[in-house]
Amino acid sequence: MPQKMIMVVEDNPDDEELTLRALRQAKIANEIVVTRDGNEALEFVFGRGQYEGRNLERMPAVILLDLKLPKLSGLEVLKQLRSDPRTKLIPVVVLTSSSEDEDMLRSYQSGANSYVRKPVEFGSFANAVSQLGLYWLLLNETPPRA
Amino acid sequence: MRRLLATLSVRQKLLAVVLLTTLTALLVAIAVMVGFDLRNYRQSLISDMTTQADLLGRTTAPALTFDDPRVAQENLELLHYRPQIRAAAIYSARGKIFASYSGRDGREFPKLPEADGTRIEGNELVLFKRIVDSREILGTVYLRADYELYDRLVGYLGIAAIVAAIAMLVAYVLSRQLQHIVTSPLLAIADVAREVTEKRAFSLRAPKLSKDEIGMLAESFNTMLAEIERATRDLQASNEVLGREIAEHNRAEQEILRLNAELEQRVKERTAQLEFTNGELEAFCYSVSHDLRAPLRAIDGFSQALLEDFPKDVPEEAQRYLSRIRSSTQRMGQLIEDLLNLSRVSRGGLERRDADISELARQVVTELQGREPQRKVDISIWDGMRANADSRLLRAALENLIGNAWKFSSKTDQPRIEIGSLSDDGRAVFYVRDNGAGFDMAYANKLFGAFQRLHSGNEYQGTGIGLATVQRIVQRHGGRIWADAKPGKGAAFYFTLESDGVERASPDMAEAQA
Repeated sequence: MPQKMIMVVEDNPDDEELTLRALRQAKIANEIVVTRDGNEALEFVFGRGQYEGRNLERMPAVILLDLKLPKLSGLEVLKQLRSDPRTKLIPVVVLTSSSEDEDMLRSYQSGANSYVRKPVEFGSFANAVSQLGLYWLLLNETPPRA
Repeated sequence: MRRLLATLSVRQKLLAVVLLTTLTALLVAIAVMVGFDLRNYRQSLISDMTTQADLLGRTTAPALTFDDPRVAQENLELLHYRPQIRAAAIYSARGKIFASYSGRDGREFPKLPEADGTRIEGNELVLFKRIVDSREILGTVYLRADYELYDRLVGYLGIAAIVAAIAMLVAYVLSRQLQHIVTSPLLAIADVAREVTEKRAFSLRAPKLSKDEIGMLAESFNTMLAEIERATRDLQASNEVLGREIAEHNRAEQEILRLNAELEQRVKERTAQLEFTNGELEAFCYSVSHDLRAPLRAIDGFSQALLEDFPKDVPEEAQRYLSRIRSSTQRMGQLIEDLLNLSRVSRGGLERRDADISELARQVVTELQGREPQRKVDISIWDGMRANADSRLLRAALENLIGNAWKFSSKTDQPRIEIGSLSDDGRAVFYVRDNGAGFDMAYANKLFGAFQRLHSGNEYQGTGIGLATVQRIVQRHGGRIWADAKPGKGAAFYFTLESDGVERASPDMAEAQA
């Protein structure tokens, strides 16, 4: 069985690097795909645009999704993922700087599995990311394929 | 009859009354006259015939005495000069017919004479009269004469009818000529009354054509018209006043409506402006929340990475600098967090419900103890403190107040925190008191300003936003907050959660009012 894949949707290169570093530190060696805006994220999962012809059998095991993204916002990406039978069941963790209740509520309403705030302090941030990775990759049982 | 009369005009009624009265008077007069005449006729006829019988008796007495019917017959024959006598006879004392006379038509005579007397038989008068001479009854005279009562009656009736007809005619003509004296004033009044009713011309007056009751009627009618005219004028005047008042009222109402609409428009505009400003503020907060924190995270993260990845290449001094950078970024992160909290308590709705302040305080304390389990603080929370408040905001306020008490009592020997309430004029005043560092009341006026701190960051950590947030929360509930403290002796913060009309507390207490 091929390794589970993580997709990170993150436009800020600093946050991207810190996220990847945190995952690395947590000894998570799974394949990590990074997309840098909402549109690219959707193109990847549905094999469109620059990802035309991608093997669609291989779907990310978990998507770490920032809310504030260029082109398509995180919430819109989330809604499109949830409305397609191929991606409806992929766990999506909203990873954002926002501490607004409104954002959290709308994320859960749109079908997010988790909502995690990015702390300013790197230690806490790394901790949060590694725990997420561990949880969704190792402990969580993915739903059987339809 | 009465009903028939009722339908007639006054003119016709008058005529009818006059004619009827005339007719009645005439009939009564004629009846009386005819009756009187007929009685006279009868009496004079009877006395005439009685005299005639006496005369006959006297003239035939000798013939009877001498039993000479021829003389008696001659005497009787003389009666043909009186044609109204139809028959006559003389009876002897023994009751035999001695002589007889018949007038125009032959007639039988009674076989026997009767006692003295007269009687009417149909249209004839029958009379018996004894012939007496020196107390000796010699015989009896029998007379039968015309009694023309009916003929006379018929004649009289004919005359009466003619007289009545003439009288009625005269009465009719006369009353026709004269009745206008009575009716014309009445009709004049009636005409005026009709005109008044039809045209509502109350200024008309009925002419006074006579000085009798009708004249009085006309006067009364005119007085009444004058009264009505005056009343109508008054009514019109008051109607006009009323109309003006209504118009005024309507105008005022229009004005109020216009002002209201204007006000509403202004409120709308203001609301729109406010909504726009709020929207901008929210966008700003969102932006702060996201964008301001990301670079901080990068600074902190890469400082950490530097320390982790190149532990040997970074000199000790540089490592100290890096840790200073990291603590600054973390402080800034906290500052941003607190600012967002402050803005969050100002935005959003206020959901007042029955809130259990004691329970909220216990939750906050439990959290603080969980964070620093090694600290031993004597905490007392009164039971049963409740308020009608937004419990989410109230909890944020308590987090700050109790958090402050917790923080500023950290260097005290036997730290004590009390959360309780007291009653001021029946209004609940809640307080959070500690025996910690306290502060100088001289600076109390700076307590509730954002970013104002009374302690240096070396002594106690903090952003200086907590009390500003608490004040904002209290203000949103319409309450007020004030403090009382002494350096080294601890501080007490008092707050209410409902508006009051009471004047400010004593001036030596720091306070802020909604």
